[in-house]
Amino acid sequence: MRILVVLTALVLSCFSLYAQAPDQLFLQGNEAYQKGLYAEAREAFERILSQGYESGPLYYNLGNTYYKSGLIALAVLNYERALRLLPGDDDVLHNLAIANLAITDKIETTPRLFLWDYWDALKDAMSTSAYTWLAYGFFASALICACVILLSSSFAIRKLMFVGALISGLLVLPSLGIALARNADQHRTDLAIITADIATIKNSPDDGSSDAFVLHAGVKVQITDRINQWLKVRLADGKVGWLNASSAEVI
Amino acid sequence: MRRIFLFPVAAILIFSFRLSAQDPTFQAVLDRNPVGQGEQFTLSFVLGNAGMGGGRNLQLPDLGKFHIMGGPNQSSNMQFINGAVSSSITYSYILQPKEIGKFTIGPASIEVNGTAYKSQPVTVEVVKSTSKPQSRGNDQPDISAEIGDNLFLRAVVDRSHVTQGEQINVVFKLYTRVSMSNYSPGKNPTLSGFWSEEIENPKNISLTTETVNGKQYRVGVIRRMALFPTQSGTLEISPFEVDAVVQVQSRRSRDPFDAFFRDPFGQSVNYAVKSDPIRIKTDPLPPGAPASFRGAVGRFTMTARVDKQTTKTNEPVSLKVTIAGTGNVKLLESPAIELPTDFEQYTPKVSDNISRTGDRISGSKSFEYLVIPRYPGKKTIKPVTFSFYDPGKRSYVTLSSSPIELTIEQGAAQLPSLISGGGKEGVQLLNQDIRFIKLTESSLVQKGRSSLISPLLVVLAFLPLGGLVGAFVYAKQKKADRLDDIGFRSRRAIKIARKGLRTAEDLLKKSSNDQKLAFYDEVTRSMWKYLGDRLGIPPAEMSIDRAITALSARSAPQDLLEKLRTLLESCEMARFAPSSTESIAMQKTYDDAKRVIMNLERTIKA
Repeated sequence: MRILVVLTALVLSCFSLYAQAPDQLFLQGNEAYQKGLYAEAREAFERILSQGYESGPLYYNLGNTYYKSGLIALAVLNYERALRLLPGDDDVLHNLAIANLAITDKIETTPRLFLWDYWDALKDAMSTSAYTWLAYGFFASALICACVILLSSSFAIRKLMFVGALISGLLVLPSLGIALARNADQHRTDLAIITADIATIKNSPDDGSSDAFVLHAGVKVQITDRINQWLKVRLADGKVGWLNASSAEVI
Repeated sequence: MRRIFLFPVAAILIFSFRLSAQDPTFQAVLDRNPVGQGEQFTLSFVLGNAGMGGGRNLQLPDLGKFHIMGGPNQSSNMQFINGAVSSSITYSYILQPKEIGKFTIGPASIEVNGTAYKSQPVTVEVVKSTSKPQSRGNDQPDISAEIGDNLFLRAVVDRSHVTQGEQINVVFKLYTRVSMSNYSPGKNPTLSGFWSEEIENPKNISLTTETVNGKQYRVGVIRRMALFPTQSGTLEISPFEVDAVVQVQSRRSRDPFDAFFRDPFGQSVNYAVKSDPIRIKTDPLPPGAPASFRGAVGRFTMTARVDKQTTKTNEPVSLKVTIAGTGNVKLLESPAIELPTDFEQYTPKVSDNISRTGDRISGSKSFEYLVIPRYPGKKTIKPVTFSFYDPGKRSYVTLSSSPIELTIEQGAAQLPSLISGGGKEGVQLLNQDIRFIKLTESSLVQKGRSSLISPLLVVLAFLPLGGLVGAFVYAKQKKADRLDDIGFRSRRAIKIARKGLRTAEDLLKKSSNDQKLAFYDEVTRSMWKYLGDRLGIPPAEMSIDRAITALSARSAPQDLLEKLRTLLESCEMARFAPSSTESIAMQKTYDDAKRVIMNLERTIKA
């Protein structure tokens, strides 16, 4: 009888080891990181991902473990992923900047119109769901105002409600637009990080083609086209070439 | 018998040993005396019979009156003459006198086996100048006339029309019918536009005989060269000069004494022989050269190999390209090698090996490239190509090696420095580490869940929408209800009545027959409408009596009700008997209707 109890306990503990709750794994990974066991921490975080869960803090912490292990390209990749879920997060931006200092290639970005920076700042001011709820709030308030207009017999109240409905109604579309734009940004599949130590960019999608330029791990590229295992990539400074898909990973 | 024979041999041997133990001698010797001012002469000290030890500690006399131009040159000499061994060591100095006069060079001393030996003093006479050059100058025209075509130098080329880079052999041959004791090459030909390679520059000339213009000459090849034109056009090989020392018999002197005392071998005369310049026509290389062509002309083979197929990162591999064959080997340029991009390449180490045997210049030139792979993996060095022009085939030939496979393993881990500052930003952030992980709230969600639309939001979105629809329906219903409401109708009754009377007033002003009828119609209709709305009586049940009853129930004064009855009746009458109607009556009817309605409005309550 006693043996049976022990056995059951053992089996149960095995189960709990294998099917650990993601939150528990997250805590476990953090603990390992604090002790400086970066490889263990990485494994824990990767397991959460393999169980199908994700979050901004998870990607951020995973990025940190990669950085501490000297795998700069993967650190950059995970920071970029964290940034999608935590746009404008100060810690993520800081660590991404540090990781980008450690990569070999320095790409000169072409300056862009300041309005785009404003737009990005506006997008990053709140999370997607916050913007969605904001849009919903304006929508609801416009409708409530309309209801009051229909139901109220007081002219003064009806006038006030009309102004309220107008303003709310006008704000629904911008907030919904930002939410949609943010959502589109989060689900972009055309940005990738070079993960191979060295990637030769060809002039055409063919092994025998001449080399256009060389990129090292950690560089962010934009994918503009795909043919089989070849990706047509564009750098921030406008250089274009073909890259073997195995040497990059989509963010 | 035999013993008798042996004795003299032994005696000779003993005697010879005794001879070898001679005392050392030390002598000063001048190579000539007198010496012309500014001329060089040699002062030698000859140490004889010094034995195996030789001399030590040579002390020179005062040579203040001379410039020492060279020396000491030491030479030793050993002779066996009739069994006697004599050895001598000569220390020689080349001197040049500073001034004219008679000078005595004092004794020099040397130590042999601890004993000092001194040379005898010698006297040098320095005279103004010798008469030698003058006499030579006098002789010169005669000599050249005498030698004439008996001595000449010829440059022979194997061809005079070539393609750029093709080999030409030039042979300088000396033809002579005079006795020549020596020669020395003078001015070398200038070979601008050629790369030249000496094939033969013999010290000893083997002579052959050749017949030129019916005269037999002794011919010696004194120089053989290979030339490779490096440019096209007409190129010139300028003359080659040889200074020959010729023995001439002076024929003009008829003095028998003179002839007697002269050198029986004749007089030595310096004579410069020159070859004729040669023009070489050089064609440019034909067009259509391959990309890898870099001026190689001839016939070559190429090998390219690496010293090891597997290496580690940051460990150098040597790629050796060797080109061998005949042609302008020395002019070969390093073929371009295409390395995978992450290799570092250094300038090649070039070595060549040229063979001059035979007619053609052949040899090999090797280029050793040191390449350093920086990243691990399997890499391929593209085939090395090398092109040359084959003058025999009159075409370009391209050689290409097979691609070279390299396996590069990860060498000693070279951890990337975590922060390599670059630019302003880098300096600013230097020594900053990444921020710490986020410990609080994992906020994990299932991957792929949209943060844009949540089910709650969809439900909530329908809530105000439903509310609006409800409000709309409610408001519409309420409006419809209000239209049917009696109270509402009675509130609106006066408005409608006024509107009807205003229409009637317009009709009154027009005062045509048709209008009159319409006027009464309008007044009647307005009155009935007003009473109906005000009192809440449906049109079907409306009559004068009903209206009066309802009004009196609402405490309207009796006279006003009478007035209303009269007005309504007169209107009915006027409608059906229009003839009796007049403008004044119409005006009265209008005024009455107005007054009645106003009074009713004022008196009745609700």
